[in-house]
Amino acid sequence: MDILFDVLRTAIAPSTAAFALAAIGLNFHFGLTGLLNMGHAGFMLLGMYGFAISLQAGWPIWLALIAGLVAAGVFALLLGWPTLKLRGDYLAIVTIAAAEMVRFLGRSQSLKDLTGASSGIRGKDFKEPFELLSPFPDRIVEIGPFSLHGSRSSSWWLTVVTWSLVFLFAAIYWRLASSPWGRVLKGIREDEDAVRSLGKNVYSYKMQALVIGGMIGALGGITWSLGNSVQPDSMGRPTTFWIWTLLLLGGAATVFGPVLGSILFWSALTLVKSVASALIPSDVLAPTELEPFSLVLVGVTLMLLVVFRPQGVLGNKKELAFNG
Amino acid sequence: MLATLDRRTLLKAALVFVIAAIGFVAVVTLGGGAEAASADPEVATTAATTAAGGNILLQNLFNGVVFGLLLALASVGLSLIYGTTGLSNFAHGEMVTFGAMITFFLATQQPVSLPLLPFSFTVGLPLIPAALIGISISAGFGWLQDKVIWSQLRRRRVAMVQQMIVSIGLSLALVNLIQWWIGGRPVRLTTSIDPRNQYGPISVGNVTLMSMAIAIVALLGVAYFLQRTRLGRATRAVSDNPALASASGIKVDSIIRIVWVMAAGLAALGGILLALYQQGIGFDDGTQLLLLMFAAVTLGGLGHPYGALVGSLIIGIVAEVSTVWLPPDLKFATALGILIVVLLFRPQGILGKSERVG
Repeated sequence: MDILFDVLRTAIAPSTAAFALAAIGLNFHFGLTGLLNMGHAGFMLLGMYGFAISLQAGWPIWLALIAGLVAAGVFALLLGWPTLKLRGDYLAIVTIAAAEMVRFLGRSQSLKDLTGASSGIRGKDFKEPFELLSPFPDRIVEIGPFSLHGSRSSSWWLTVVTWSLVFLFAAIYWRLASSPWGRVLKGIREDEDAVRSLGKNVYSYKMQALVIGGMIGALGGITWSLGNSVQPDSMGRPTTFWIWTLLLLGGAATVFGPVLGSILFWSALTLVKSVASALIPSDVLAPTELEPFSLVLVGVTLMLLVVFRPQGVLGNKKELAFNG
Repeated sequence: MLATLDRRTLLKAALVFVIAAIGFVAVVTLGGGAEAASADPEVATTAATTAAGGNILLQNLFNGVVFGLLLALASVGLSLIYGTTGLSNFAHGEMVTFGAMITFFLATQQPVSLPLLPFSFTVGLPLIPAALIGISISAGFGWLQDKVIWSQLRRRRVAMVQQMIVSIGLSLALVNLIQWWIGGRPVRLTTSIDPRNQYGPISVGNVTLMSMAIAIVALLGVAYFLQRTRLGRATRAVSDNPALASASGIKVDSIIRIVWVMAAGLAALGGILLALYQQGIGFDDGTQLLLLMFAAVTLGGLGHPYGALVGSLIIGIVAEVSTVWLPPDLKFATALGILIVVLLFRPQGILGKSERVG
């Protein structure tokens, strides 16, 4: 029973929602436009740096939010400028390189005053303005089997905010994807040259998708950091690959694919870890080996998904973005 | 392909190099300016090392050449695989770590174990046989990978982008498998300390000199293979145009199999030498190196066999020399910055044919 509650708790946790939000951003890139952004964690990290650093500097929370989003938007413009005219795998290489550069810069000792170097920015140094907005009581609140704090860290307040954002952006994706603008993006995904020959400015459309998706990714990063802390090493390449796995699991180019994918991914990971630690004796699989063990499973899942069911749970095989 | 390296290409390469150098200087000046603005104690130490003058520059240049050679060893395979199959193999970094780790596994005197087996044992071979066996096992792993995964995907005509994501999944699985197997701490292949000798302004250890020699011999071997042997010519033909190569009677699939074996073996050799050079290797060092390999290969020209060498030397030198002015924890960031700058001006790379790549 405990395992079941653990899984349920993970399914509704704010960080699950944050990853769903980031995956919606990636869905704009990959699902809608077919852009291979392999540095999504970089957008998330920049978003949370922008947000946390501006809050530390004493900016009001709405301005800090904008600062985080603008940082990610500018990053998208910089990345898109050299690469969107090139073949897809160039974008993949450049985004992954740029995301790592952001991480290297963030954890560099020379920027310690700004970013806190490799130890990052502690939660209590920037979360307070957000937690003060909470309408929930400032204590542990129990609802059914779940007990969370009312307003601190991974709280009921954060849970409500993140899931509302997820559904808001899922709705925005749904509207935009079926708008004339979204249909042009889908056209680019299917056949770039055809869209170009219709007189559309493909470069500009791709850039818009990259910026919008990057900003949503940054929002995902900001909400994630509100439940945890700003930590450059937790936004490395594995994070990007998790987002890819969960997006492909749920189904790229669908409205609820990223949301379902995030819930399934994190619940399954918790389930695997709890079952493995309960059933496999610790001299065969030590507790410290659980993490790499479950990540091996994630990698294998990603491989199998891409080969055997690239459309994921919800997707439509006809709407695939694999035209490389 | 050496014949096509005419004066114009070299001129272009020189031009790109100059542009890259200018970009690099610009980055350094901007970075330096930003640093000067923030008056923290580290700036003082950086300034002090700069003041020590040309010695450090020469030493770093030399380190850069060493690192570049090792990087070239690791990335030649990546480039060959890209050239013959079109795959950007994101799991190539793990092949580097795997080679070093299997050598550690065979050579160490400490008890080692395998994942899921609850007992531990010692193999304890001397380093050189362990390295040779390690390289063979890695090459075998390359063969197995192509047999089990990549040739199947090619036969199913899975799109290149899907294959790339498969390689990302494989990379994630392998790096964690290695962590599970060896553990999170860096390991050393030898316990002996390599004494450094002074040659003029440069200080270097014997093991490093040996590594350099091995790397150069191996790279020359690859060049000889590609240039002079029948198989090498067939490889270049597949790289140029697989359909035409197939039509003229070359067995494309077995050529690709050979390329995978070679790539894995070279990556393993690179990993072993790197572990000796850095005096230790961690489970994710290869993963970190992958980006530099991609930077090198893209810089030199994706799929161009000699591009990997040129690109690796530039990346190695840039990464090491930048530490003269920039904090050392930013050296990889600088190298990746160069990649982005080059893509802006010359997306096909230094040796690549000028063609539309979009």
